[in-house]
Amino acid sequence: MSASKLSPSLAALMGAAAALTSAAHAQTAAEGGTTVGYRFNEYGEDSFDGAAIGSRERYKVYSQQFQLDTRLPNNAGLDVTATHEVMSGSSPWYVLRGADARPVQVLSGATIREHRNELRGSYTIDPGTASSTTYSASYSQERDYRAGALGIERSIPLNAALTLGTGASLSHDIIQPTDAALYDRVRHEEKNTFSAFGSLAWVIDKNSVLQAGVQLNHEDGYLSDPYKLVSVGSDILPDHRPGTRSNAAVLLRYRHAFAHPDAALHLDYRYAQDSWGVVSHTVDVGWYQRLGQGWQLIPALRYYSQQEARFYAPFFGVDEHRFFSSDYRLGTFGAFAASLNVRKRIARWEFSGGIERYHAAADYALGSADSAVPGVLSYTRGFVGLDYHFD
Amino acid sequence: MNANSRSFRFSAMGCPCEVKLEGADDDVLQRAAKAARDEVERLDRKYSHYRDDSLVAQLAACADAGGDMHVDDETANLLDFSASLFEQSAARFDITAGPLTKLWDLQSARVPEQQRIDAALAHCGWQRVRWNRPHLHFSTTGMRLDLGGVVKEYAADRAAEKCREARVSHGVVDLGGDLAVIGAHIDGAPWLAGIKTPHDPARPLATIELQRGGLATSGDYERAMIVDGRRYSHIIDPRSGWPVQSFASVSVLAENCLVAGAAATLAMLFGVEEGAAWLARLGLPHLCVDTQGNVNGTLA
Repeated sequence: MSASKLSPSLAALMGAAAALTSAAHAQTAAEGGTTVGYRFNEYGEDSFDGAAIGSRERYKVYSQQFQLDTRLPNNAGLDVTATHEVMSGSSPWYVLRGADARPVQVLSGATIREHRNELRGSYTIDPGTASSTTYSASYSQERDYRAGALGIERSIPLNAALTLGTGASLSHDIIQPTDAALYDRVRHEEKNTFSAFGSLAWVIDKNSVLQAGVQLNHEDGYLSDPYKLVSVGSDILPDHRPGTRSNAAVLLRYRHAFAHPDAALHLDYRYAQDSWGVVSHTVDVGWYQRLGQGWQLIPALRYYSQQEARFYAPFFGVDEHRFFSSDYRLGTFGAFAASLNVRKRIARWEFSGGIERYHAAADYALGSADSAVPGVLSYTRGFVGLDYHFD
Repeated sequence: MNANSRSFRFSAMGCPCEVKLEGADDDVLQRAAKAARDEVERLDRKYSHYRDDSLVAQLAACADAGGDMHVDDETANLLDFSASLFEQSAARFDITAGPLTKLWDLQSARVPEQQRIDAALAHCGWQRVRWNRPHLHFSTTGMRLDLGGVVKEYAADRAAEKCREARVSHGVVDLGGDLAVIGAHIDGAPWLAGIKTPHDPARPLATIELQRGGLATSGDYERAMIVDGRRYSHIIDPRSGWPVQSFASVSVLAENCLVAGAAATLAMLFGVEEGAAWLARLGLPHLCVDTQGNVNGTLA
C-alpha cells in the first residue's frame, strides 16, 4: 500500500505504531550470544603517474583483524577488536618546482616494512536500544607513533520517534620519527584531540529513518608531518602547519527499507569546514540488497570534494610564509569511489568480501582547482572476512 | 532443493501459539523458533496481568500507592501507541480499564452489580494518568494498566522479526489467531488463515490469503459469557463500564499484526454501525460478523 493511498485514520494508526514496528533501525542480529570474526584487508595505491623522482611504487597495507562481540549479563555488550597491519612503499616527500613551473613530485624511497598494532574495546549498557551508553578505549602502536583514546557515547530517546545521540572523546598521540637525526627531524612531539558530537534520529515511519548530526573537533600540539618537506624559494624546509586545528561538520543520513525488493537504501551527506581553510563535501549512496538463501549484495558509490588549506601549495616563492605544506591531503581535489560488498550466511557462519576502487584528481573538485596536487592518488582496496556466531 | 517445513507449538499469553517455518536448514529453523518463542514468553512475563511478577503487577503496586514510575523504552513505545489509540477511538480504547477487566472476569460467570461497576469506573480513565515519557504518574490510587489489547499483536510481530533476524524468510507466527507473516511459502504461495464462524468454531467462515503483513481478529465468540440467555463479550466500553454490544468478530489485514489488532479492537469498540463505517473509511481489508451471523466487509 503506497503512502499516498493511506486514509487519515490508517495513517494515524501506522504513525503511532512506527516506533514499535520499525524495520529501519532493527537491532543487530546477534541479540544474544557471541560473534567472533576475522578480516583480511589489502590496500594498494596505484603507482605514481606524472613527473616524479624516486620510487613510483606507492603505499601498500596488509592488515588482519580479529573481533569479538559478546553479550554480557545485565543487558550489556562488549566488543573488542585487535588489528595488525604491515605497511610498505614510498610516499610523497616534497615537490620541486620543475621546468615551466610545473611540479615534480619527489617520493621517498620504498621503506622497509613497518608494523602497526591496535587494540580497541567498547562496553555498552543496553545495546541495541534507543537509550544505550557506550564507553570505549583504544591504543595503537607502531615504531614511530603511539596513540591512546577514550570515548563515551550516549543515546537518549526523546519520544517514540526521536532519539538524541551525544558523545565525546579524547585522544593523545606521540610521534617519534624514525631516522630523526639523519634527516634532522623533530625528535619527540605530541598532540591532543578532543571531539564531540550531537545527533537527532527521527523514525519517520516503519521503513525510514533520518538522522542529522553535528561534529566538533579540536586538535592541539604538533600537527605537521615530520616526514614531509616543502620547497620554499630555493630552500627545502620541513612541513610546517599551525599548532591548532578546529573542525566542524554537519551530516545527514537517510535510511529507507523496501519490503518488495527486500533491500535498504543508505544516503549520506557530510559538510565539513576547518580553521585551516579546508572545506569538504562527501556524498555516499549505498544499496543493501538481500537476495535470499542468506546472500546480501551491497554496491555503493562515494563522491568527495575538498578545497585546499590556506597554506597549501605544491611549492612556495621566496616571500615570508608563516605556515606551509605541500601535502596533497591538504590540497584541492575531488574523488570518486565505487565499491561492491558481498555477504553470505550459512548456519552459524557468515562469509563476507568486498572490493573498492578509488580515484582522485584535482579536476574532480567542486569549484576550480586552485593549485596542482601532484601527490593525489588512486587506490584499490579489498577484503575477505569470516564470522562465527554461537550462543 | 530440500526444504523443511516445521511447526512449533507452545502455550503463552493465555492461548495456543504456533510458529510455522520453512527453510533448507533445520538447525536454522530450530534456532529461529526458539528465538521467537523466547520473545513471546519474555513479553508474556513482562506484561501479563495474570502473573504477579510481571511489570503490570509492579505498575499496579505503584498505582496503588499513587506514585511515579520510570518505564523502559519498549513500555514507553507501547504507552505512546496506547495513548494514540485512546485519542483515535475517542476514549473507547483505554488501557487503564484494568479494574473493569478484572471485575468482568469471565471465569466467574456472573454479571457484577452496578455499584461495583461504578466503583471500578472511579479508578479508570487514561485522562487520570500523567504520561511524560519515560515517567508515568498515577494521580488516583487503585488504578491498573492492561496492555493486553496491544501486547499479543506486538508479540506476534516481534516473534516474526526474530525469525527474520535468524535468517528465516518463510513462515508465519500464530498467537491464538493473531498472525504475523515472516514471508510466504518457499514456493511463493500465500499462507491461508481460516476465520472461524462464531457459534460454530469447527466450520471456517472465510479463508484469507496472506503473502505478508499481519492478520488480527477481535471477537467474543470464544470468550463471551452467557448469563440468563444474554451474551456479554469480554470487550468493555470504559466509558460505561459495560461490555460492548458489537460484532461477534472483526478481522483486519494490515502491514503488521499490531496495526491489524488495533484496527480490529477499535472496530469492536465502536459497535456495529459506527465500527462498520470506520472500517470502510480506514481502507484496510476486513471481515465483520455480527451476532446474527451476517458477514460483511471487503474480505467477505
